[in-house]
Amino acid sequence: MEKPLVQETMENPFAKEPKASWGWLLQVVTGVALLALLGLHFIANHFIAKGGLRDFADVVSYLRNPIILVLEVLFLVVVTTHAMLGVRAIVMDFGLSDRAEKRLSQVLAVIGVLTVGYCLWLTWVIIH
Amino acid sequence: MRMLEVPLQIFRYKAGEQPHYDMFTVQVEETAHVIDAIDKAWAIHDHSLTFRRACHHSSCGSCALRINGVEKLPCITLITNVWDGHSPLRLDPLRNFPIVSDLVVDVSGFFQRLLAANMTITRDAESTLPLTVDELADVVPSEAVELPDNLSRFNRFENCIECGICMSACPTMATDDKFLGPAGLAAIYRACQKTDDPDEKAHLLALAGGEHGAWRCHSAFECMEACPQAVDAAGKIMALRREITANRFKRIRRR
Amino acid sequence: MATHEYPKVRRAGRWFDVRQRNLGMWAYALNRITGIGLVVYLYIHLGVLSLLSRGPGSWDAFISVAHSPFFLTLDVILLAGILIHGLNGLRLALTGFDVGVRRQKALFSALMLVAVAALGVAILKIFGG
Repeated sequence: MEKPLVQETMENPFAKEPKASWGWLLQVVTGVALLALLGLHFIANHFIAKGGLRDFADVVSYLRNPIILVLEVLFLVVVTTHAMLGVRAIVMDFGLSDRAEKRLSQVLAVIGVLTVGYCLWLTWVIIH
Repeated sequence: MRMLEVPLQIFRYKAGEQPHYDMFTVQVEETAHVIDAIDKAWAIHDHSLTFRRACHHSSCGSCALRINGVEKLPCITLITNVWDGHSPLRLDPLRNFPIVSDLVVDVSGFFQRLLAANMTITRDAESTLPLTVDELADVVPSEAVELPDNLSRFNRFENCIECGICMSACPTMATDDKFLGPAGLAAIYRACQKTDDPDEKAHLLALAGGEHGAWRCHSAFECMEACPQAVDAAGKIMALRREITANRFKRIRRR
Repeated sequence: MATHEYPKVRRAGRWFDVRQRNLGMWAYALNRITGIGLVVYLYIHLGVLSLLSRGPGSWDAFISVAHSPFFLTLDVILLAGILIHGLNGLRLALTGFDVGVRRQKALFSALMLVAVAALGVAILKIFGG
């Protein structure tokens, strides 16, 4: 009897293929992390700064603080990852083939890396 | 007994024709269910109206359709509960299944998924029949029904009447042709609970953990709302996610 | 198990259609809409931050605009999006691992009430000075 939906091989824990859950799990992890990181980002930028916004000189001194720098970079990476995963989830609902889904993940990964890269460059320019 | 004059707006589709709605007005008793109104529309107005019905008490799952856009079993839905007294009562077939004719949809995909989960109906309970299960299998001609070899592995899937309502309500079923769906995944979970065989369990979890399994669910919980038998498919999908993840940790630790 | 006649693009758009749907579906649609809005905002924000590379002149000019009531209103809308997406996301993280599934509707209502309350406080702080 034809069983088109049944996988012939058992799951191999050593298999190179990433499991289907990676997207969802990473989304949850980054999402929960964002609750904290976004909160910190918000407090640091709008509650501590005078008047809720920083002028240029304030921004420079803010970013020169190494703890702040680490926090902001971490926030940047996590939020970009979460955003790319979110876009991936929406596009995947358009009924893509398995190959197209892989291509999508790759394209979004590249966009994510470019985004983070650009911001790191921008931060560098501001600090110096 | 008060009689109601119910205007029905029924979805019509025959192969090669454009889908459209037909209006029928039927007279039914005020205690009638929606399926009774459909019966009358067929009997009195149009014998070409195609629909499924059997038990009239929500145990066969045949009659599932949409009443005013919402998935329901018409055999247990009182007309007075869904009809406002004057607007037409709209009847549509289930979503996410290919339409065969009018209100009848092709449910073979549904049963393929149950089969993939090793969940099909048992005959163990019918021990008072003169024939044993295996003899019955020999008597039935092979062209009519294909029965797999190992019949004793089949189990009745508790609660689920296989009506397809959850599959119609699920927004992910609408986007992914191969998605196992709430019914398929709930069946896999039930099968996992029932089996003692670790290999079968691993196989089932692999199926549920695959590209078209539990991770595709977007947590709309429409299946849970629509199910007439409180199968709680959404809960089973989430439980499967927990099982799959826990299983993965066990394997990593065993390495 | 293809859906009757509908092309894939139209099918994917079904998450928009919340007519006759329950609370869980509303939450799903809201999460997607706010998610899309926030991704768009992310890139707008990064674009604005690029002004910093041009030195104090352009940035400080922007800051003076950023205090205007129109801008602050946009900020409030942004905050609403963040609160809805974040709190509902927390609900998804919980239910996704089989915590509170049977109470998902109550959880959604409760979290959205928190969002409204937080937004109220924020509006007072932002416009109250």
